[in-house]
Amino acid sequence: MATIRVTNDAALVRSVPERRGIRWHRLLEGATPYLLIAPLLVLIGVFIYWPLFYSAYLSFFDWNFVRPDKTFVGWDNYTRLADDPRFMRSLRGTAIYLVTLVPIQVFLPLGLALLLWPIRRAKSQSAYRIMLFSPTVIAYSVGAVMWLWIFNANQGLLNKLLAEFGVERINWLSDRNTAIWAVIVVATWKTLGFHLLLYLAALEAVPHDYVEAASLDGASHWQIMRSIRFPLITPTFFFVLVTTVISVNDDVFGAINVLTDGGPFESTTNIIYYLYQQGFKYFQIGAASAVSIIVFFATVLLTWVQFRFVERHVHYG
Amino acid sequence: MASMVTARQSAGAKRRDETGKLLVHALVIVICFLTIFPFFWMLSTSFKQADEVFTKDIQLIPLNPTLRNFPDAFGYFPVGHWLWNSFGIAVLTTLGKLLISVPAAFAFARLRFRGDKFFFAMVLATMIVPGVVTIVPNYVMVSRLGWLDSWTGVIIPSLPGTAFYVFLLRQNILTLPQDLIDAAKVDGASTLKLLAQIVVPNIRPAIAVVTILSFLGAWNQYLWPLLVLNDFEAKTLATGMQFFTSNTESAQLWGPMMATAAIATLPPLIIYAFAQKQIISTFVTSGIKG
Repeated sequence: MATIRVTNDAALVRSVPERRGIRWHRLLEGATPYLLIAPLLVLIGVFIYWPLFYSAYLSFFDWNFVRPDKTFVGWDNYTRLADDPRFMRSLRGTAIYLVTLVPIQVFLPLGLALLLWPIRRAKSQSAYRIMLFSPTVIAYSVGAVMWLWIFNANQGLLNKLLAEFGVERINWLSDRNTAIWAVIVVATWKTLGFHLLLYLAALEAVPHDYVEAASLDGASHWQIMRSIRFPLITPTFFFVLVTTVISVNDDVFGAINVLTDGGPFESTTNIIYYLYQQGFKYFQIGAASAVSIIVFFATVLLTWVQFRFVERHVHYG
Repeated sequence: MASMVTARQSAGAKRRDETGKLLVHALVIVICFLTIFPFFWMLSTSFKQADEVFTKDIQLIPLNPTLRNFPDAFGYFPVGHWLWNSFGIAVLTTLGKLLISVPAAFAFARLRFRGDKFFFAMVLATMIVPGVVTIVPNYVMVSRLGWLDSWTGVIIPSLPGTAFYVFLLRQNILTLPQDLIDAAKVDGASTLKLLAQIVVPNIRPAIAVVTILSFLGAWNQYLWPLLVLNDFEAKTLATGMQFFTSNTESAQLWGPMMATAAIATLPPLIIYAFAQKQIISTFVTSGIKG
């Protein structure tokens, strides 16, 4: 760095006639960190934290968004949910998505990453990665549209394929026994790539000397995987687990919206979709807000549980 | 592990290793095939004549390929407007996110100030607030501001959803050698100069990754623009596609619909294919930790 000069003396000399300038300068330097974070924090405050409180406030009112006045109803919006069969069915869907998609989205890409790892030097590796990741980079809704054309009962590819084997037409998206599985297939296909990428990056970050030392000691491929690589990628595993639990029901929104609109008979709906319909189809702003507060506390609780009971098994560094 | 094969290993073990790898390749290829098949089927359909779309048997590759579906799609729906909206919203959202994230990430990584830990925690904590929790109040706010059916209404409220990028950038700035920072300080550089002339040029790869990820995120976002953009011509590609789906049973527009889907998927796929290696290496250096 040719430009480095020892400038302390020069600064001293300069400081005498420029004292006022320096005071200003110091003040500005002191304020700089706050100026740097201000735009981000203001936006977070206005569009994330304030809405959280406003949601809580709205959840105690009966309001249809168009009417100028809101009616205070206390806890009614919450207690009424328990009597709403549509809400109960949305809870059932939420649970099904959690129980099926969390393990699928956490373990399937992990297995695939472990499969890809031994052949990471193969020339075809980057082609594999591009193909496996491609569903992740496109819009959920557009991906769902592609699957709509596969699941379509009359002209869809799946039924045409099954017809070759003599299977009769199945109404994949309008049969309450199959529709939710269609959504799950699309969600699995859509998220595989991103988690795979995170796992591969974590495997790559494992220090090479650890692995070399173990293999000199005669450890097998799977021993190394189990006792060195896996413990060292547990932070990524934990990150994937926590973010999947938080986002999985949010994520399937696009697929539900395009493929089934929550039906048939609310068999594919979840709490997020219920919130959307309450708020923006029926304009029950109070009820929608109550649901959003429930979603918020459920998310915080689930995250806390994971930090409390799973994080202790995570090895950092 | 090819690099670990030593002289001690017999030829038999080596051969077993090779067969094992072939099996792995075969399995991975099958999974890849399943993954990209919907893309292939979409593309194939987008080049088919209407009569081939509705044949009884499976026609993998169009017999008489046609480009008709593309202009047709633009004729049925304002696909041109949607494309422009997707593009404009994605570019401006990305710029906005970079402008607020990079300075904040730098402050959190290298500056000590009162409340720094608290503010950083505030930023990270937004990651556990599901987006859907804020949509009702934000919709009320945006409609009061008169931002419905505008790019502003989509862009501004989605800017703060950037905690993950701030985290990624901060991790990257932390890996810069302290000497580099000290040298600039000794040189009398102000904090802003330090950021602009030393930090930003040195974390260019991470900035590139954040740019790509937030462009893809904005290009693909669904629920928020679905609510804010109601006007037919104000839609984005991701949200406009629903008009095809609500019409398919009656109008049978599968060809033009798949052509539109192809237009919507092409930019993200191209961008990703070029940036793939960079994204992985940035995740490696950042060390994702929950």
